[in-house]
Amino acid sequence: MNPAVGTHNLSKQFGRTVAVDGLNLAVPEGAIYAMVGANGAGKTTIIKMLMNIYPPTAGRAEVLGIDSRKLAGEAFARIGYVSENQEMPDWMTAGAMLDYYRPFYPTWDRALEQQLIRQFDLPLDRKLKHLSRGMKMKAAFASSLAYRPSLIVLDEPFSGLDPLVRDELIEGLIERAPETTIFLSSHDLAEIETFSSHVGYLEQGRLLFSEEMSVLGNRFREVTVTLDSPSPLPENLPLTWLQPQTADCVFRFVHSGFNEESSPRELAERFPAARDISCDPMPLRSIFLAVAKTGRDHASAYDQAKAKGDAA
Amino acid sequence: MKQVLHIFAKDTRRFWPEILISLAITAAFVRIYPNQWQGMEAMGLGAGVGAVSGSILHFLANALVGLVPAGWWLLISRVIHGERLVGHTQFWLTRPYEWKNLLTAKLLFLLAFLYLPLFIAQCLLLVTAGFHPLAYLPGLLYNLLLITGIIVLPLVALSAVTSSFAKMTLVLLGAALLALLIAGIAALTTYMPSHTTGSVASPVGDRLSLALVLCGCGAVVVLQYALRKTTRSWLLLIAIPVLLCTLAIGDPDQALMNRTYPIPVSSAAAPVQFQYVPDQIQQAITDTTHDSNELEINIPLRVSGVADGTVVIPEAVKVAIDAPDGSHWDSPWQAIYNQRLLSSTDVSHAEFRVGRAIYDKFKSAPVALRLTFALTLAKAEAPTQVPLPATDFSVPKFGVCTPQSSWLQFPGEFTSVNCKAALRQPKLTFVNLHWSSTRCSAAQSDPATGMLGAAWAGSFDIDPAEFGITSVWQIPLYFSNNWEGYRKGSGPAPRHICAGSPMTFTQYSVTGRTQTDLTLQDFHLPGLAIGDQYLLMMK
Repeated sequence: MNPAVGTHNLSKQFGRTVAVDGLNLAVPEGAIYAMVGANGAGKTTIIKMLMNIYPPTAGRAEVLGIDSRKLAGEAFARIGYVSENQEMPDWMTAGAMLDYYRPFYPTWDRALEQQLIRQFDLPLDRKLKHLSRGMKMKAAFASSLAYRPSLIVLDEPFSGLDPLVRDELIEGLIERAPETTIFLSSHDLAEIETFSSHVGYLEQGRLLFSEEMSVLGNRFREVTVTLDSPSPLPENLPLTWLQPQTADCVFRFVHSGFNEESSPRELAERFPAARDISCDPMPLRSIFLAVAKTGRDHASAYDQAKAKGDAA
Repeated sequence: MKQVLHIFAKDTRRFWPEILISLAITAAFVRIYPNQWQGMEAMGLGAGVGAVSGSILHFLANALVGLVPAGWWLLISRVIHGERLVGHTQFWLTRPYEWKNLLTAKLLFLLAFLYLPLFIAQCLLLVTAGFHPLAYLPGLLYNLLLITGIIVLPLVALSAVTSSFAKMTLVLLGAALLALLIAGIAALTTYMPSHTTGSVASPVGDRLSLALVLCGCGAVVVLQYALRKTTRSWLLLIAIPVLLCTLAIGDPDQALMNRTYPIPVSSAAAPVQFQYVPDQIQQAITDTTHDSNELEINIPLRVSGVADGTVVIPEAVKVAIDAPDGSHWDSPWQAIYNQRLLSSTDVSHAEFRVGRAIYDKFKSAPVALRLTFALTLAKAEAPTQVPLPATDFSVPKFGVCTPQSSWLQFPGEFTSVNCKAALRQPKLTFVNLHWSSTRCSAAQSDPATGMLGAAWAGSFDIDPAEFGITSVWQIPLYFSNNWEGYRKGSGPAPRHICAGSPMTFTQYSVTGRTQTDLTLQDFHLPGLAIGDQYLLMMK
């Protein structure tokens, strides 16, 4: 099955600044893929390259099987795009905007449009320029969902919105999820954790990891080893052990390659004098913090280790 | 097509104020501009309150010629910037817009609200002036092409590479300032002598320039709509004026002169003979020009040999100077203006510019001066004679003419004749009529008595139209008179044109083009006029 979105060594430079560096990504059809990273990590640049707004400096991307550089016209009838920075035809009323967009899309669903208008409580007779930011976002969502796109691309869609509006939009999105692929960027981990199926973490233009949320949750564990007596930080720790630290008799680290079957045994062998070894699941926020603090060197090392493991 | 109409309908709804402004200006233009065609007297410029309203109308008519393109400027900018091509956040970038449809929708908008109103306006002006528009359809369409190349397409291209009306206006103002600066520098330096630009009529250069603007601006628009590569489009846009300047300096028509005006085979008789016979009154003179580094030499000539029923028009002159010490100088072709030699013409002159350094080099010794004239030869067609009516009258293939009364409005007495032509100047025409030295109201036995006044109008251009917001060209006929003789006391100055006076229009058709030479041996370049020498001394 072809991925809905795929990139191959995709790179973008603005002058001497590398915004995206050799991105390899595959978003399977039907996924809700969340691209997370700090501000300036390169999320918006990636999305703009996918939407053929920016041309890539190197590499290539495919969106719904089309080379992103050729993405234009009719191809956008299958893509819904909403961005916090996107302009809207402000001189139109919300109703006029929907009326204007409707003929562009052969698959526009009037019933769904009405449902979205009701769901988002859109004031159709008010000009977009007079709407609040939340209401504008709702109008943008309605105009991008009503034609049942195969791919929905959202660039920081919930940024700066109040929780109520955000929940309404997420609800509207989730209702569309079974029939579409959703690719969104965000720096708010809490909001994506609730509904994303896949996640990618971007730092300084490089993708540190990209995988299913369940796999990610399974392979990260906060390991606490309780020893009989205080001991210094062990040497030659595996690269997959992030942020190791000791305090009295307790040695803690984040295991980024945890395996339910083999890891407890390996830990027991490594710490034979341990009084207790606990491996606790981590929330997404803690995982990203651990990865971000450890830095890309460890993550790269993990990638290498993982690749070796996969090959074995 | 559905998408094109959909975008067009959206633009029409959105930009109705701009459309209304442009249409109102065009309507006012059609209503007020015809006042230009009436003589100043008829517009009430004679005296009193009428003079004020007449001046206002005159001013408005002139202002509207500029306001119509200003209205287009607003209209074009607003509609192109409605889906602007510069930037990365426009709403339409990620919607199923086909660029060809978007461009077509914008062109349809311009067709509906710029070209169609202009076409109707030009037709109405033709009708008002007494012409049938359908008879001038090719000219109307050609004028629209010229307007496209000179105004519309550059504005569309500029809109395509800017993000708003304000930015586009700033760019236009900047470009105008830059052009002024370059013109100023060119005028103040010797880098670009005045004779290097516009030295001869430049039909090839003009066509190349128009083609360059059409293709260049067209390419910018298509490139921007298809790819939105703004930097690349800007470079292309900047290249257009640079190439236009290069073309103007390169002046391709100079190189083509020998082809346009072939050198005659030796046995062929020249269509005109020039002779330099200096006497007490007719002397060659050297004069200064506005360019301190250039002088103008004027050589009086005697003319003979022009066949009856023909006219010889010296279009350009080229000068070669050979000094006894072997030094040599060739000038480029330089234009000659308003010389038409008939069989009755016996005097004329050759005028050319020479650099001050060249002049200083050759002035001390006699030189061999060779003047080569580029000549257009034309043959008279059957003349049209009409007794001058008291009201508007039509002259076939020429235009519609109106006798102009003086502000005192003596019935049946006129001071001049104003003609109008459709879309372009008419073919070169020689017009004559009789001046009367007595009042027309006095008993006249024969209106054809008195002094014969003559005037030339028109040109040999073959294009179906000349560039213009208006479709009607005014041709004021300034008839020769005996004012000079009156001032010198050699006779009365006739000042009345009477109704019924026979008026003859003789049109000429080009029969050929050639060159002829005149070599003056042992010619001394004339000294500078005294006033100029004084000025030089003062410097």
